[in-house]
Amino acid sequence: MQAEELWSTALFNRFLAGPLDAFWNALGVVHDPAHPWENWLTMELLVVALIFVLFAVLRSQLSVETPGKLQLTFEALYKFLSGQVHDALEHGSNKYLPFIGTLFIFILFMNLIGIIPGFESPTMSPAVPCGIAVSVFLYYNYMGVREQGVGKYLAHFAGPVWYLAWLMIPIEIISHLSRPLSLTVRLFGNMFAGEKVTLTFLGLTYLVVPVIFMGLHVFVAFLQAFIFMLLSTIYIAGAVAHEEH
Amino acid sequence: MKRKLIYAGAALMTMASPIFAQTPGGGGLTGTLNLPAAYLALGISAGLCGLGQGKATAAACEAMARNPGAAAGIRFSLLLGLALIESLTLYALIVTFIAK
Repeated sequence: MQAEELWSTALFNRFLAGPLDAFWNALGVVHDPAHPWENWLTMELLVVALIFVLFAVLRSQLSVETPGKLQLTFEALYKFLSGQVHDALEHGSNKYLPFIGTLFIFILFMNLIGIIPGFESPTMSPAVPCGIAVSVFLYYNYMGVREQGVGKYLAHFAGPVWYLAWLMIPIEIISHLSRPLSLTVRLFGNMFAGEKVTLTFLGLTYLVVPVIFMGLHVFVAFLQAFIFMLLSTIYIAGAVAHEEH
Repeated sequence: MKRKLIYAGAALMTMASPIFAQTPGGGGLTGTLNLPAAYLALGISAGLCGLGQGKATAAACEAMARNPGAAAGIRFSLLLGLALIESLTLYALIVTFIAK
């Protein structure tokens, strides 16, 4: 899908084409040597910079006696995320909250930035949700191994009873491998389809109807970020849960 | 009656073998019937997704009406279930993008 170049991508391609060209060549990635920067890459970096700035501002304004509106908003967000994590992992681990909170805020900002004209959601390209899903996969497996030890973590693939292990192990492996795939496709499909539907209706009826679909897209953006975070929490909980008797 | 239905289904599937006589356009996801087949799959999966989500929403509404105090938890389960059902239709949508 040859998308048009955004202003940010054109800027990056003009000044920083060399380093990324060398990087792609080192990894063996097929690319256009004149335009190594893609829309999703520059937009993702923009979102990262935006989040840094936002949290730097928040951090400088933190106050116990007189919390400002920004602080109250993020306290509510923190309480919501912490509630989700504590619901899923009963032994109330704040260990995983940084990763899960970052997932939610990052994906939410990436989804929402596409609404602004002149910006494009990085999650509209399949590369970005794939990267996040793979990192979630690696993270929950690493956390499972760190929590339970390699032997015990692999043993729980065999299921509850030993004589069903021959059946359970292939099923468990396939289901674990399908998790990053389903996370990727869900996020990518929702965001891509949301934009395409808005554009289609913009072509059909010029006035009020595309706004409704854009509103639906905003709702879906929140919902998909939440669902991604929730499923990641459930996968982490499944990996680190100790068998309760 | 059930056995008749099973035999009818098996007969239909064997009679569909002429479909293999399509001109192979290069294997994989490029053939003459790939795009219509993908669209048909999308239509069927969207319809069944609608049925599933309708059932989930109906159960959630009834549960919230019976027990308004638990509405938050029910709403949460409803959204989770709806998103998971929706993702199944999205897989079919992705196939329509991949098929030529």
